[in-house]
Amino acid sequence: MGKRDTWRIVLVFGLALLLTSAALLGVCLGLARAGFRPQAPAKTSTPAKTTVKAVVPFSMLPSNHMLVQATINGKGPYRLIFDLGAPITLLSNQVSEASGVVKADAPRSFLFSMRGEAEVAKLQVGDLTTTKLPVIVLDHPALKILGEALGRPVDGIIGFTFFARYRTTIDYQANQMTFEPIDFPIRDLLRELPGRLAGPKTIRRRVLAPRGFWGLRLARWSAGNINSAGVPIVAVLPGSPAALAGLQPGDVLTTLNNRWTTSVADVYAAVADVQPGRDVSVVILRDGKEQTLMVRPADGI
Amino acid sequence: MVKLSSLLTSLVLTVMIALVAAHAGQKPGPGNEDHDPQIGQFFQVPYRLTDTNHFLVRVRINGKGPFNFLVDSGAPALYVATETAAKAGLKPVKGEFWTVIDRLDLEGGARLPGIKARVEDPFQLVGMNALGLPGASIDGILGFTILARFRLEIDPTRDSMIWTRLNHAPPDPPVPRHGARDGDRPPPELQVMNALGPLAKGLAFLMGKQPEEECYPRGFLGLEWAETRDALSGQSTVRISRVVEGSPAAKANIQAGDRLIRARGQSVTSLKAARAALSAIQAGNPVELTLERGNEKDKVRELTVTITAGEGL
Repeated sequence: MGKRDTWRIVLVFGLALLLTSAALLGVCLGLARAGFRPQAPAKTSTPAKTTVKAVVPFSMLPSNHMLVQATINGKGPYRLIFDLGAPITLLSNQVSEASGVVKADAPRSFLFSMRGEAEVAKLQVGDLTTTKLPVIVLDHPALKILGEALGRPVDGIIGFTFFARYRTTIDYQANQMTFEPIDFPIRDLLRELPGRLAGPKTIRRRVLAPRGFWGLRLARWSAGNINSAGVPIVAVLPGSPAALAGLQPGDVLTTLNNRWTTSVADVYAAVADVQPGRDVSVVILRDGKEQTLMVRPADGI
Repeated sequence: MVKLSSLLTSLVLTVMIALVAAHAGQKPGPGNEDHDPQIGQFFQVPYRLTDTNHFLVRVRINGKGPFNFLVDSGAPALYVATETAAKAGLKPVKGEFWTVIDRLDLEGGARLPGIKARVEDPFQLVGMNALGLPGASIDGILGFTILARFRLEIDPTRDSMIWTRLNHAPPDPPVPRHGARDGDRPPPELQVMNALGPLAKGLAFLMGKQPEEECYPRGFLGLEWAETRDALSGQSTVRISRVVEGSPAAKANIQAGDRLIRARGQSVTSLKAARAALSAIQAGNPVELTLERGNEKDKVRELTVTITAGEGL
């Protein structure tokens, strides 16, 4: 290994630690090593049926995390945290070995015994079975601390690579999630980001295209204005959908199709999703008073 | 030998884990918010998926903003970065763990009154922002105490989430028994990690920050169009249905009834193709269009015009 490679690995590992370590944020709220109640036993999940909407119960840990009981390759159940803020799914070494996700003699790195990417052949939570789930095998220090505080280990984290496969609903009152399969291409961050980090700092450019024709001209282009109320309309073309809806020059657009329009960029992002021929609500300020108008954009450019 | 790729795997893993002082048995229950008219309502919450696969939604704090907040069921509470708090005019009281936000608005219409927030800079945000990893700055975190007030529906194939307000007020995480002031030392792992925010800033100095994406408004021509299908041949055509007075299209003498044959060198036989060909024009760009004018009885003429795109939508 060259000196340069070593240096890069150290750099990258610093980053890795930085991002994973955020897990420990809540430690500032105080570590409690006693007084945790044992979790209620997991509901025994019935064998997976081919239902459209799978139901998965969860329980809340005293640390305010959602815990699900998962079977991995028929082994378990294991205790996994369901985390909307985690971009990837992670399993501990012990569980990965016990469930056959990695072989016991698979090489480990010197850092947190990381074994890198692996694939779970079959993961079951509640009514849901998913297959070929990419995971990272790593003994996360935050999970270790959490497990110690709880007196029971936490075996991993379910993140974006899992839930982006579904239309997910989370009901904290019912302690229940539902999952309906969708077809969403999940970006491979692990291939994309390191290259971008190491590569040239190219600015990506994107043109925001309105989907329909409104007949409006707005104030000067701005990408983001903090604390601005909205975007002033400079001109309304006669006979256009905007004119028919009653919009006038001087009106300040504050909300379009339920999206805040604090900058011209916001307006364009909002109109990119508005189909022609359908009414959409627009909130404006006119003489300091809020009004809501309905606009039906035409098809055009 | 350690494979670089295996180290990179966790690069983007951000997990927020909170170890909250034990108030075991303190179950979230219905709140005293029966009077809140938003209970039972649902809201379409627009979001942005970052380059790091995080969900960002926009919030206003006491009417100030908007700010980008991370949706994170792994965070125990609402976190507001110190810089964000300053911009929003939030003044944490010395010695108080929480700072009360009188009114928290979420894009899409949901509103929460009297919310406790922790003003703090989680080093994860410091680090990610310093390096520009997500592609947008993250100003804070919506954690459990916010998310649990809603039934969340998240579908990455749609541009908005659906949040339905529940009659459910989760308890605030208890204030730490040992404040930072007491010098109660956190576990060694945490001490190491706490050093990482500044480290990332140092790295950003060495490596440079990932620039945010730049967006531009598409240019404006000032015409309406429709797709017509010939009953006999089944061939579809894009027909100009209206040209707005004084618009770039009118200046180039395009007329209602003209048929669009080609746009910027691309053949156009459908609205979809027309939109695609013109999706990236910007104000000031010359845009070449080829049109057919006249019907079968007359002599059909083909003409090519160059329009300078204007501003507008």
